[in-house]
Amino acid sequence: MFSLRRGPVKFFWLATVIFAVSPLSVFAQGDPNPNSPTPIIVSIEGSPRLLAYQALRSRNHTLGRLPAETLRPGGNAVMFVANLSLMEGEDANAFRIFARDEKGRTYKFPVIDLRPAPGQPEVYALTFRLQDEVGYWQEPIEIGDLIVRLSWRGLSSNELLLGYGGKGGKLSEEKSLKSSSLSDIKGGKVSQAASLNNVGIGYKWSGDRVRFLEQATFGPTPSLDLRIRRIGLRVWVAEQFEKPYPSPAYPYPDIPLKNTNRDDITTGCGPFADTAVYRACIRNHYTMYPLQNWFFQEALYGDAQLRHRVAWALGQIWVTSGVVNEQSSWMIAYHKVLSKNAFGNYRDLMEEMTLNPGMGNYLDMVRSTRNNPNENYPREILQLFSVGLFELNQDGTLKLNNGNPIETYSQTDVNNFTKVFTGWNFCNTGCPSSGPGLVNFKDPIVINAGITTLGNNRHDLTAKTLFSYPGAPNPTIAACTGTCDDTLVSIASYANTSLDQTLDNIFNHPNVGPFVSKTLIQHLVTSDPSPAYVSRVAGIFNNNGFGVRGDLKAVVKAIILDPEARGDVKTDPNFGKLREPVQLMTNLFRQVGVTGANFTGLSDGVIVGRTSPLGQNVFYSPTVFNYYPPDYVIPGTSLLGPEFALMTSGTAVSRLNFTNTVVMNDNAVGINAETSPNGTSLDIRELEGIAAADTTSNRLLDTLNNRFLHGTMTPATRSSILTAVNAIAANNPRQRARQAVYLVATSSQFQVQR
Amino acid sequence: MTESRREFIKKSGCALGMTALATQMHHFGLVDAMAQSIDPLALTGYKALVLCYFDGGNDGNNLVVPIHDVPVGTTGISNYTTYTNARGTQGLALPRTGTGALLPISVPRMGTDYTYGLHPSLGAMTRDIGQNIINNGIHELYQQGRMAIVPNVGTLVRPTTKAQMSQASHPKPYQLYSHSDQTNQNQNAYANRPIFTGWGGRVADAMRAGVDPANIGGLIPMVTSIAGAQIFTAAQASPPLAIGQANTVAIPLPTPLPTPNLRTILSPAGFTNTGGTARRTAFNQIRAEEVLSNANFVKEAAEVLDTAMQADAAFASANEVAVEFPNTSLGQQLRQVARLIQMRSSLTMNRQIFFVRIGGFDTHTDQLGAHNTLFTQFSQAARAFYDAMGSLGVQNDVTMFTLSDFGRTFNPAGSGAGVGTDHAWGNHCMVIGGSVVGGNFYGLPTSNGTPYPNLAFNGTDDADGGTGARGRWIPSTSVEQYAATLAKWYGLPQDAATLQAVFPNIGNFNMASGALDFLL
Repeated sequence: MFSLRRGPVKFFWLATVIFAVSPLSVFAQGDPNPNSPTPIIVSIEGSPRLLAYQALRSRNHTLGRLPAETLRPGGNAVMFVANLSLMEGEDANAFRIFARDEKGRTYKFPVIDLRPAPGQPEVYALTFRLQDEVGYWQEPIEIGDLIVRLSWRGLSSNELLLGYGGKGGKLSEEKSLKSSSLSDIKGGKVSQAASLNNVGIGYKWSGDRVRFLEQATFGPTPSLDLRIRRIGLRVWVAEQFEKPYPSPAYPYPDIPLKNTNRDDITTGCGPFADTAVYRACIRNHYTMYPLQNWFFQEALYGDAQLRHRVAWALGQIWVTSGVVNEQSSWMIAYHKVLSKNAFGNYRDLMEEMTLNPGMGNYLDMVRSTRNNPNENYPREILQLFSVGLFELNQDGTLKLNNGNPIETYSQTDVNNFTKVFTGWNFCNTGCPSSGPGLVNFKDPIVINAGITTLGNNRHDLTAKTLFSYPGAPNPTIAACTGTCDDTLVSIASYANTSLDQTLDNIFNHPNVGPFVSKTLIQHLVTSDPSPAYVSRVAGIFNNNGFGVRGDLKAVVKAIILDPEARGDVKTDPNFGKLREPVQLMTNLFRQVGVTGANFTGLSDGVIVGRTSPLGQNVFYSPTVFNYYPPDYVIPGTSLLGPEFALMTSGTAVSRLNFTNTVVMNDNAVGINAETSPNGTSLDIRELEGIAAADTTSNRLLDTLNNRFLHGTMTPATRSSILTAVNAIAANNPRQRARQAVYLVATSSQFQVQR
Repeated sequence: MTESRREFIKKSGCALGMTALATQMHHFGLVDAMAQSIDPLALTGYKALVLCYFDGGNDGNNLVVPIHDVPVGTTGISNYTTYTNARGTQGLALPRTGTGALLPISVPRMGTDYTYGLHPSLGAMTRDIGQNIINNGIHELYQQGRMAIVPNVGTLVRPTTKAQMSQASHPKPYQLYSHSDQTNQNQNAYANRPIFTGWGGRVADAMRAGVDPANIGGLIPMVTSIAGAQIFTAAQASPPLAIGQANTVAIPLPTPLPTPNLRTILSPAGFTNTGGTARRTAFNQIRAEEVLSNANFVKEAAEVLDTAMQADAAFASANEVAVEFPNTSLGQQLRQVARLIQMRSSLTMNRQIFFVRIGGFDTHTDQLGAHNTLFTQFSQAARAFYDAMGSLGVQNDVTMFTLSDFGRTFNPAGSGAGVGTDHAWGNHCMVIGGSVVGGNFYGLPTSNGTPYPNLAFNGTDDADGGTGARGRWIPSTSVEQYAATLAKWYGLPQDAATLQAVFPNIGNFNMASGALDFLL
């Protein structure tokens, strides 16, 4: 790595407004311009060819030298970027350079160094290596032209030709290529203003506002959009941190613990009877039904949207599932840990989750003893909940040793961590929720529950060797000997202390910041964040500005206010994420309007049965690896796209059919006169009114473009939809509105949150 | 040089114009056939591979068990006492007599003195009212020579011995014992580092690359998953189809046979109400536009949908298969596979690879009950599938095989009713089909000279060392060797370049010994 970087040069040039984001300036009234300038890569004068030099040892990046028209494969080269406005500390890893060849194969070139170009303070010199770092395709083997572009903060630069070992090929015929030399740029001949098809968007930054709500809530609503326009993103976030949760109108369902034998006649639902009462008892206690309904009510109507969204994301990291934890009361206790700590500290979340009885059951910690240790929980807390498999830099990229990733831990480490997690069990006597015939799935698990003799102690008392990274707290835990193992009380004290020490040891591992930050970014904003974005958020995780590590409020704020998340339009082809089924549904309902049957009353949250055909039965994750893995790469591409693991031929059609059901039908989803009188319906009336008021349907299309796609609907899509809408008689505005909503909501433009 | 499918779409889209229906734009298998010279005689007949993936890491140690009493002595060939000593105390050893006894099998490869037993749930059982048990199971197929066992298969970079386990310079699979990583390595047959494609997908790529023009004009992709997106099916140029399992069908089968839901699972609902025709037109136009989108996620989502729409059209004439399948998830997945194979001619498919999955093998606890359920489900569904292939006349053309994340520790985790096992490595696989030279063990020798490992803790096949060794077998047969044998039967060209492209490490392993000749 190079250490020659100077301090950041502050300037603004083509950008009309100074762009400054300080994640800590929470209470600023009004928002700064969310838009970053669009980077321009500099061409040779009068040519659509990249201005570049083979990198020299002297690092003399003078612009006046004769540029290299072809660059050496495998070698380092320097290109020049204009129209940037860098934040303090924003470095080379904020940029990604992509090239494509004639066959449409894409390559990613590593960015090595960024510095102001000598003599040209408005321009930066970017050193990169002509070597694909993705490894999806073989290295470009043909000598000839590639088309190169650069991504920065979710924005794509212009495209230029790059001679890869030589010039030639058909790419130079592409009509979109044009010169962007320094004189073109200074002369204003290069326009990089991102375009919005925002015919109906009258307010400044409304594209960004709607996108923000897609990232921070379960879907924008017109009223929320209006409110944020008044108070600004930052005030809204500050408000959200203080909102009571669950929203007062939608408290957690109060479900008592039941016997693990569902037909038990005292504390179960028994005796078995083919009656409505029995069935309802089973459904409410032994399935996730009440929790799912509550979840959707809070998502559709609740005020504490941000906490609900973050808790849902955390629940896809710290996974437990109704598949194993079959009682809704158990999963409610687990969800309370998620939501309580969503705006708390990650260390507290780690501890409460470790001691959550649902987690203890799901990953077998309650069955792990010194004589029969079980590696399930220790392995997963490391792999999935904290440090991950490989050592990471702060920006989330892999640390390498001779080109190979470095494993974070070994089987020996797992064996050592396992010892700490032995001997814990349900608190079935003496805790607030203990009761005869019940397994206590509400109160934290405790050490040696029910053990009365010293000889039956289940906790491993031998010494443990934990992580030993620089500055690691408690790299070892001494054995419990001497007076330590004289009584069960002192053993319990030792075990509790050991657990604290161990969680500190894990929590302070340098991987935790980037690991947690990147995963949360993926859940909220974009599947493949730039390393710089991850690094900014991980920096906040490591220190919130007041010396506190793991402050999730600060982390969430940093994620959703980052310049890579913000902006009216995102032109980077890889920006965004596929909407997971839950987000697809709630966004659709919230953006159109959601109601109960016959447009009366509110939804009762019953959407049950509708998420599982899409691959996401809420609170029934199939395994601890969640509904989809965070490292899923879309087949046939090198694109990181976790949610695409749920996008199969079958579920793609299920998405259509869900949309058809809620959009085209009068009947509510899930309505059942006996048990769910309201069900959930789309309230089409507002859009129906808009369709009626303008029989050209342009206002309807504008509204949908604004609400669903924050102004990014393509002209061709708009034209297709308009034709289909106007094929319906103008005196049937409801059907016109439905036609339009169906087509927008089933478009892939809407399947992707972008 | 193979072009990417995306490039093909781009060209087709331009050729047909933006208003063309996306569903008219391409047929799978056509891409390279157009680009390459074709020898249509290179492939004859029909062949299919079906991977049944045991999700979670199956404990093969209780699937195939030594039941003989030949003294171990210095042979390193473990006997029933080795097994009960390791597993009996904690309640995980299966009996070899009485209720729930292991089902004896003879193993010519091991010699007449060395008998083994299969898990009792693989045998014939009484039909149950839950319609999950309907046939004699697969133990019978082993005895009929239609099922082979390949013990101790696992992820490897190179052949590895106990001594090499402690040599840092000897390359080993990354993240041993981790579910996600070992799942990937089993499904992509490459243990050096994470990669983007699975070996099923790469076989499909190679078969479409002009060297071997499979599925000319095929209406669906070569690779089909009935169990969601899986790395096994991921290819560079051959996008997989991924459809759901069949609905349950009554047992005994109704007469006349019901119309299957193969079509309906991919058909978008609606389009019949006011404006429906115009809606469909716009819906198709938008998709045709979006498969060319510059926004990559938009493009990829549109392509998945487009693949579904094409398959929907291809499935218009599906019929029910006239063989009972158990009403389990795996049974209904395999019923779906059988339906597709039944329609192979109308789909113009002559080579197909399928992925099905049975989950729940991560038996850290409660393994005995879980295994009874899971093995019963597998045995019943696999047998029904074998019988269905017989009724379709393709039993010799279809081979089913198993893989899993890893094996599990020979040393149990926990004890009593809740006893289970932890993550380990080498594992025993099953191969079933009319072309299988079954009734035997196959695979490269372990430390004791046979394919079945030495079951001693900290023994010559245990990756674990020291007094706490828990029995994690070092694989003797690599996933590549197992997979390449299957792929060769399937028709993968055997030239060095193709083999190297599909199985990059194959050169590290001995393929010439005859130890893997489990297919005709």
